[in-house]
Amino acid sequence: MEPLIVTENLKKVYRTGKVETPALRGVNLQVQQGEFVAIVGPSGCGKSTLLHLLGGLASPTSGKILVDGNDFSRMSDAERTRFRRHKIGFVFQRYNLLPTLTARQNIVLAQHIQGNGFNPHRFQMVAEMLRIADRLDFRPNALSGGEQQRVAIARAVICEPNILLADEPTGNLDTENSQTVLAMMRTLNRSLQQTLLMITHNLEAAAAADRIIRMRDGQIIED
Amino acid sequence: MIGRMIVANVLHRPVRTIVSVLAVAIEVGMVLLVVGMTTGMLTEAAKRVGGVGADIMVQPPGASFFLGVTAAPMPVKIADLIDGLPHVSQVAPVLLQFNTSGGLNLIYGIDMKSFNKVSGGFVYYAGGPVQHTWDILVDNWYARANNVKVGQTLNLLNHNFHVCGIVQHGKGARLFIRLSTAQEMTGALGRASIFFVKCTDPGYTDNVLAAIRKLLPRYQVLSVREYMSMMTSNNLPALTDFVTTMIAIAVGIGFLVIFLSMYTTITERTREIGILKSLGASKFYVIHAILEEAGLMAVVGIGVGCAGTFLLRTLIVTYFPTLTVQLTISWGLRAAGLALVGSLIGAFYPALRAASLDPVDALAYE
Repeated sequence: MEPLIVTENLKKVYRTGKVETPALRGVNLQVQQGEFVAIVGPSGCGKSTLLHLLGGLASPTSGKILVDGNDFSRMSDAERTRFRRHKIGFVFQRYNLLPTLTARQNIVLAQHIQGNGFNPHRFQMVAEMLRIADRLDFRPNALSGGEQQRVAIARAVICEPNILLADEPTGNLDTENSQTVLAMMRTLNRSLQQTLLMITHNLEAAAAADRIIRMRDGQIIED
Repeated sequence: MIGRMIVANVLHRPVRTIVSVLAVAIEVGMVLLVVGMTTGMLTEAAKRVGGVGADIMVQPPGASFFLGVTAAPMPVKIADLIDGLPHVSQVAPVLLQFNTSGGLNLIYGIDMKSFNKVSGGFVYYAGGPVQHTWDILVDNWYARANNVKVGQTLNLLNHNFHVCGIVQHGKGARLFIRLSTAQEMTGALGRASIFFVKCTDPGYTDNVLAAIRKLLPRYQVLSVREYMSMMTSNNLPALTDFVTTMIAIAVGIGFLVIFLSMYTTITERTREIGILKSLGASKFYVIHAILEEAGLMAVVGIGVGCAGTFLLRTLIVTYFPTLTVQLTISWGLRAAGLALVGSLIGAFYPALRAASLDPVDALAYE
């Protein structure tokens, strides 16, 4: 079977004035449909940059990214945005919920942006799976960190994306909430065949994945 | 959904919202009041001239049709020449005076007999006609605005006048003195600024107009109907410029406040814009959301502005009865359109900036 994600000699260099900072120095990676992959490494090793490139939030300096057969390195920003809308979900360390909206509205917003309309069956199923059904009418500031992260996961998966990219999803949570969130991600991966890429510092969190990739200095050093 | 997000954003920052709404309301109010007062005063002045009851006005060469002002009034004896023309029923000479102390007031120096014949006579609310040199008649609006009563002394043009009567408004000016008094005060003995001509039948107006123009070729001869149609700000270039300038200032205020409001909003919500982009929101979606937010504040501001203008008009008319504010649906729609378009243009650059934000930078924004 063709891998869902393929990167070839992927490089990303940040430029600040005349100073160039290489963040990725030739990353080669393949991820199969339905895999749960953890990417670990020290701060500044390029994990987040890799995630942003795989999610189409940024474009590479050189190299190739194929996601579900689409070459991100040749797509415009608008094309990547359209692809992300339908195929990719993000979960962030800081939850990134819109503070003025309730949990329900945060989740529905993703469906609205996707443009396929509200799917009550899917909504109910996701809310129950993530155990947030009774917290849907609260704003983020009335939710615990664990609840906010579960709402963020619900928002990320409500549109049934092929790929879920999680950037330190347990970074702001205590042990108990971390375990809960990881268990739910595991469930999503198993029951919905969701391809999951998670970056983390936490080796315990990484242990929840099927596969662990180690990065250092912008390169994969162990897979 | 986008509507809910916008309403939530607007409610989330009440002070910013109130300031933006007030700016738009002031913009709408300024446009409506400036135009309303300008057209109102002109229309009211024109109606008053119409209320004299004449069919034709004759003014000396070079006189302004707007105020009938001229440095060289005409000899009153011209009235006899006009009176001798066919189909002329009556000619009333009037010498205009302007009082500038305590506001601008137009005073008609009138010959009571001829003016009454042209106008059909005054309706007296109190007192009676001018009889003595320093007698003055005031209309009921002026009396109410200045709390004037019969028997009171009014100091106008550096003279003390005795208020002999209060008459119904609508006959040319608000203040009336004897023609001879006005002539003596200005040293224009035997002269008048305007002749109000009444025809034996309004149907003869064009014939009489032609006859007067033949008789007095250099003089300004206008039918009152024509004069009233000319009394619009469009025929007064300086006034049009003033109105245009005031509208531009009002629109500028609305534009700048909305621009600043949305610009600061974008900076404040950089992270939220990053979140929308991470969810796959297109540039169009982001621009649409921001313009809709600005549009919502503009619509509320237009409503507040219109309501506030009606309230202000009531207060103005109550406390300054001589002022007229003419509010029209046409200008209401124009003011609303200007406010809405100004707001959307003001929000467009911030919206464009938001749409162009790099999602990675936006998500990292603290």
